Amino acid sequence: MLPADCSRRLLAELRGALDACAERQRQLERSLRVSRRLLRAWEPVGSPTAEPTLGPDTQKEELSPGTPSPQDLKELELLTQALEKAVRVRKGISKAGAGNKAPLPKSGSIVTPATTAPLQLRAPGRAGSHASETKAPRGICQTKAPAKGHPQHKPLSSGDRTSQERASRTTGPGLGLRDQATAPPAAQPAPEAFTLKEKGRNLLQLPAAFRKAASQNSRLWAQMSSTETSDSAGATATAKAQFLQKMQVASGLCGPRLSAAEMEAEVRRLQKACWLLRLRMQEEVAAAPTDWKQELRCLLTLEGLQAMVGQCLHRLQELQAEQQLGPWPVGLPPRSLSPCGEEDPSWGPRLLLYSSTQELQTLAALRLRVAMLSQQVHLEKVLMAELLPLVSARGPQGLPGLPLCRAVHSLLCDAGERFPTILRDEPTG
Amino acid sequence: MGRRRRGVDRTPGAGSGALPEAIAALSRALSAGPSPETFRRAKFDRPEAAPALWQLLFRVLSPTTQAGAKASQGPEAQVRFVKAALRCQGYPRPALAQLPEDGSQGSRELLLALAWLLARGPLLEQLLARTRVRLGDEMTVCECEDVAYDGASVGLPALCVEPNLHVDIRHVQWLMGKLRLRWRNLVSSQQEQCALLSKVHLYTRGCHSERSLGHLSATETELLRDPDGSRQLLQALEQENARLEAAVQWRRRELIFWQWMDTVLDSCPTQAPGAAPQPMFLPRITDRGPRQWGLVAGELQALQEQLQAAARPRRAAWEAQVRGRSQDPAWSTTWRAVRQAVDLELVALQGAWDRSGTPAQPHGPHRLVRSESGALAGRGLWAAEAIRALRSKEACLEVALRQLQGQCRQELARLVGTLSGFIWIPPPGR
Repeated sequence: MLPADCSRRLLAELRGALDACAERQRQLERSLRVSRRLLRAWEPVGSPTAEPTLGPDTQKEELSPGTPSPQDLKELELLTQALEKAVRVRKGISKAGAGNKAPLPKSGSIVTPATTAPLQLRAPGRAGSHASETKAPRGICQTKAPAKGHPQHKPLSSGDRTSQERASRTTGPGLGLRDQATAPPAAQPAPEAFTLKEKGRNLLQLPAAFRKAASQNSRLWAQMSSTETSDSAGATATAKAQFLQKMQVASGLCGPRLSAAEMEAEVRRLQKACWLLRLRMQEEVAAAPTDWKQELRCLLTLEGLQAMVGQCLHRLQELQAEQQLGPWPVGLPPRSLSPCGEEDPSWGPRLLLYSSTQELQTLAALRLRVAMLSQQVHLEKVLMAELLPLVSARGPQGLPGLPLCRAVHSLLCDAGERFPTILRDEPTG
Repeated sequence: MGRRRRGVDRTPGAGSGALPEAIAALSRALSAGPSPETFRRAKFDRPEAAPALWQLLFRVLSPTTQAGAKASQGPEAQVRFVKAALRCQGYPRPALAQLPEDGSQGSRELLLALAWLLARGPLLEQLLARTRVRLGDEMTVCECEDVAYDGASVGLPALCVEPNLHVDIRHVQWLMGKLRLRWRNLVSSQQEQCALLSKVHLYTRGCHSERSLGHLSATETELLRDPDGSRQLLQALEQENARLEAAVQWRRRELIFWQWMDTVLDSCPTQAPGAAPQPMFLPRITDRGPRQWGLVAGELQALQEQLQAAARPRRAAWEAQVRGRSQDPAWSTTWRAVRQAVDLELVALQGAWDRSGTPAQPHGPHRLVRSESGALAGRGLWAAEAIRALRSKEACLEVALRQLQGQCRQELARLVGTLSGFIWIPPPGR
């Protein structure tokens, strides 16, 4: 068993690491939920009553009203062709009016431009658009939902889609659907949902109010950064600097105090220094000098390194003295007061451009690996500081516990993955 | 209109209209800050202005995630927090720490503190950036958020550990294993998320009004799917726009505020110089900062001892060798040359950590944009470059880890070698 204070520290550290990981996982889960939902078929908004009850049942329902006669099918086919032509004409018009954003998506949603949609998909397209005019209630219940009363094209066309998809399943029920569509809205089956994969491309449009707000937003951010940079040489900056100076003088302190964030940055810097110095030392010690010049060089380097380490220690002690005046308060990690990304003077959009899924995955995986490795390095140091003294301590029998040695070795040297073997050396004879 | 214009040229504090306007813009930019009248009262240290200013500073200084929780703790907790946070930032005046905790006094001091925060850095931009509405799918490539994650977990959980608990080493092993598993889960979830995002970007190509972006982000697509969320987001955007406009106005009129603050500072009674600060600090429950300090101090000490151990015998050998040679002039020039070379090298080495980080390191969250053709060259950070940078960092960290593990192996071998009667067989090497 480990001593109490050691236990406490180790547990605090490890629990902290586990909590940090859990926090990342939670955030990731949130985003995953959103993304998965987006890629599934979209359920239409505003018809909550329809959804839970009418699901797969409706499909069966569709099939039951009996198969339409071949006559009806032929009629449907003719109607389909006529409407197809109408859509083509409309497409031509809408392409000419491509600059005009508002009405475009509506027609665009009916036409499936790039995809090689099967005929049956286009067929109900007509049926759908036809039905959309007649089945006003369903359309309304979807257009009501969006905020500003701007024509929400997506829900409307999802309404279109719904009937399209439904009819495309079986040609028969298509007719039955149309009849049903003109029937009272209460009997509306749950519409099939819209899928991003088939319909997303070139068709979706963000609402106009939103676009306006977003562009104003980026314009204002750009303005913020430009006024800031133009101001830096101006009278305001001088006034601010003078004010700070006066504050410093009026407070009676000799020099500016370091903020906690700066102190932490200093400590990290010194940590890096330690690491670099150690590397250099290992190089020097490993090299075998061949002549006296190299020996001299080696000697002078080592002594120089020693002096530098001394300076670092001195700086560290200065920081410690500084810190004694006010330790870091609880619940206030210094970093949180100015997280990164806020020191960047250009507050404009920062883009990260990737070219394939593979690349994005590699980037994300590397990112996590770096985070994990830095955590591992930190934990390794903590474990070393806590566990090595225990092994070197002598127990009551004059030996450290062997299981402890074994466990510590595996934790420290192999990240807990492999274990050393200990054999009792029985004296022979 | 004319009066307003004249106000800019008039001497400050002469009742010009420009100052209240500037302060009003500042309040709007800070989102519902105190009125110009409150500021004026604060200059004369009126107690009725104090609570509003305490609250303002509390809002400004607390990180967004914790603000809600702390706000419910009452005014004393807020006051303590503000004092601690300002201390943390290095606020120079000791008078702040001496203010009473019921939050009834000190409006002038608080006004000075607010001005100090505004003068030191881009406070408004930072606050706005903190709550910035993010429309894209964001990913950060720097490691600053790692520190934020670790920091977020520091705090109260440590209180739950009973003081006299002894843990078995096996519990520690189990916790480490659990951590490894969690990372693995995280990686696989992340891969899935990347694949999904990539699909969304692919499927919505050509839909964004901004040609430079080319496709919608998952956030934007979610807006389309869920009009309620769209409403909320639109509201948030509009609020942010209002604050940004106020901030731009503030920037134009700042100067008069600073001139006024000079008068506020002058109206303060002078501090007794050399008065020992009596900082009010909370009991330290977790010691992450000092622990970090302790680790570095330990490492440096150990390194110094090792260097001493390496240098001393060499110096002795050198002294013995050099005894005969010191008279030779050619030798002394060579000696000087070597000395200089070594000095240069060491200075260069020092530069490696003195330099304030890698300058080219991009910070903060970036919006993911899928761009196969490379049409957006020059607009942002390329994933390939970020991958390169991360790979080198990964290599560095792996080297550091191996080195630490090697150190442990040596140390343990040494310790265990002193045991007699046991054969110690380390696990097979990789």
